[in-house]
Amino acid sequence: MAVRFLVAGDKAVSVEFGSEISLELNARVRMLQKELQDNPLPGVTETVPTYSSLIVHYRPEMIRYRELVKELEKRMERMAGVTVGTEYIKEVPVLYGGTLGPDLEYCAELEHVSTEELIRMHSEHDYYVYMLGFAPGHPYMARFEEPFHFKRRESPRVRIPGRSIVVQQNLSDLIPFEQPCGWNIIGSTPLDICNFAKEDPFLLQAGDWVKHIPITEKEYELIRRDVENGTYRVKTYEKAVQ
Amino acid sequence: MGIFVEDGGILTTVQDEGRFGYQQYGVSPAGPMDSRSFYLANILAGNDKGEGALEISFMGPKLRFRKGNVIAITGGDLSPRINGAEIPMYQAVAVEEGDVLSFGGMKNGCRGYIAFAGGLDVPVIMGSKSTLLRNKLGGIEGRKLRQGDVIGFTDPRPVLPDMEKRKIPQEIFPTKEVVLRVVTGPQDDEFTERGLKNFFWHSGVISNEYDRMGCRVECDPIEHKGDGNINTDGISLGSIQVPTNGKPIIMLADRQSTGGYAKIGTVVTVDLPLLTQSMPGMKIRFIRVSLDLAQDLYIRQLNMLKALEEKLGQN
Repeated sequence: MAVRFLVAGDKAVSVEFGSEISLELNARVRMLQKELQDNPLPGVTETVPTYSSLIVHYRPEMIRYRELVKELEKRMERMAGVTVGTEYIKEVPVLYGGTLGPDLEYCAELEHVSTEELIRMHSEHDYYVYMLGFAPGHPYMARFEEPFHFKRRESPRVRIPGRSIVVQQNLSDLIPFEQPCGWNIIGSTPLDICNFAKEDPFLLQAGDWVKHIPITEKEYELIRRDVENGTYRVKTYEKAVQ
Repeated sequence: MGIFVEDGGILTTVQDEGRFGYQQYGVSPAGPMDSRSFYLANILAGNDKGEGALEISFMGPKLRFRKGNVIAITGGDLSPRINGAEIPMYQAVAVEEGDVLSFGGMKNGCRGYIAFAGGLDVPVIMGSKSTLLRNKLGGIEGRKLRQGDVIGFTDPRPVLPDMEKRKIPQEIFPTKEVVLRVVTGPQDDEFTERGLKNFFWHSGVISNEYDRMGCRVECDPIEHKGDGNINTDGISLGSIQVPTNGKPIIMLADRQSTGGYAKIGTVVTVDLPLLTQSMPGMKIRFIRVSLDLAQDLYIRQLNMLKALEEKLGQN
């Protein structure tokens, strides 16, 4: 499918690379963003990557629509041979079940497996961060093996706590702050997903991979203490090329 | 010292131009609902046009000056008074230590801007002074002003050069019906011919579901070809999302950075103040215009602001 430039008002254009959700398309979205970060285009103020498109916010007094599209097309031609670069895995410790993961047993029932097996299915595979959105630092993540069969809850909860781990099918999200949510909660992480008091407030960015590490209640408390003291370092390493 | 808040009013927040560069992390830019009035207030008060100012809504606050300064009030007319006596809007006004600024009620429009010469001494968080209420970020502890708050001035001036020139005609906002020009896209092709016709040919009503995030329009449902869901993509200011129920939502200052519903069009930037100065219950109508016209209008507005800055010897 050819790239489409969609007019998003007098100060933005959405560059749509296709309609499906795939690693290949998302990599192209991130490559165009990276190209515009490495070689800024005068007049472009901000870019936001999503599953299969990149919205480019710009100043029409510096660059008009047609000129911008021409310039973006040029950049994309130049991108043809470029690869997306090194990808990183970040380890996110998770306390499964208990009061902070109230739906763990229910999810195991829905899946017809033990809670141990459900935790294994959730924590054994890497999750790809397609994009951030909805709330500050909130990742949209998916794994590519052993999807669960269940979807959302029938009726959403009005409020769930920040740092909850919520799941459906092959999707798993980290909830930065208290919010309404229709997915099942299977655990909680001691890490801050977004903390505005920190110089770099966000745990994740688009294109990261996440590995969930099961931890005990004791470990949860210890890690949380380090996080609050500002001494915790998130384990990060390069993802092996497949 | 600057101002002491005796009464916060209904919704008074600190806003500068907005917090840009963080939408990719899911952070809304916030900023003024009516950016034209906001810019004019700052220019009249001798400031950089994007400086932090107060956005006041519906019923204004009551502020006691602990230090003299020059102020300018623009936007909706909420009947500003100093020590009980009416003062002009769209004009620089010198106030003295001990003066009390209060508001008598809405006469025209619903959101005003108070700019203070030299700006407000508010922490800059992630590059901006803007308050984002939903995430308790920026401004004064991420919330609206309340009784007892004190906000300092950065560089107060008892008087500005050319005080008599710091005066422009007041903008009068619509009171019964608001007509907004719209550029179609990014997903106008997700709507049926009938849906598009309905959107552009019939008027709706501004509903009560209206806040700094967005404004829902009550109207005959706008028909999609499908169910209105798309792959979540980026949202711009003034974007008109149409969820599955067919009732449009216009995305405003505190909008989410991304969304999963088809967007039929985007309100042109220069018309957004007409919407954000309108109240629930007013009629609303949309007219289709070209992108070229929308950008010409925007650039003309920028030039108008620039001309005022030049006239006042600022830039």
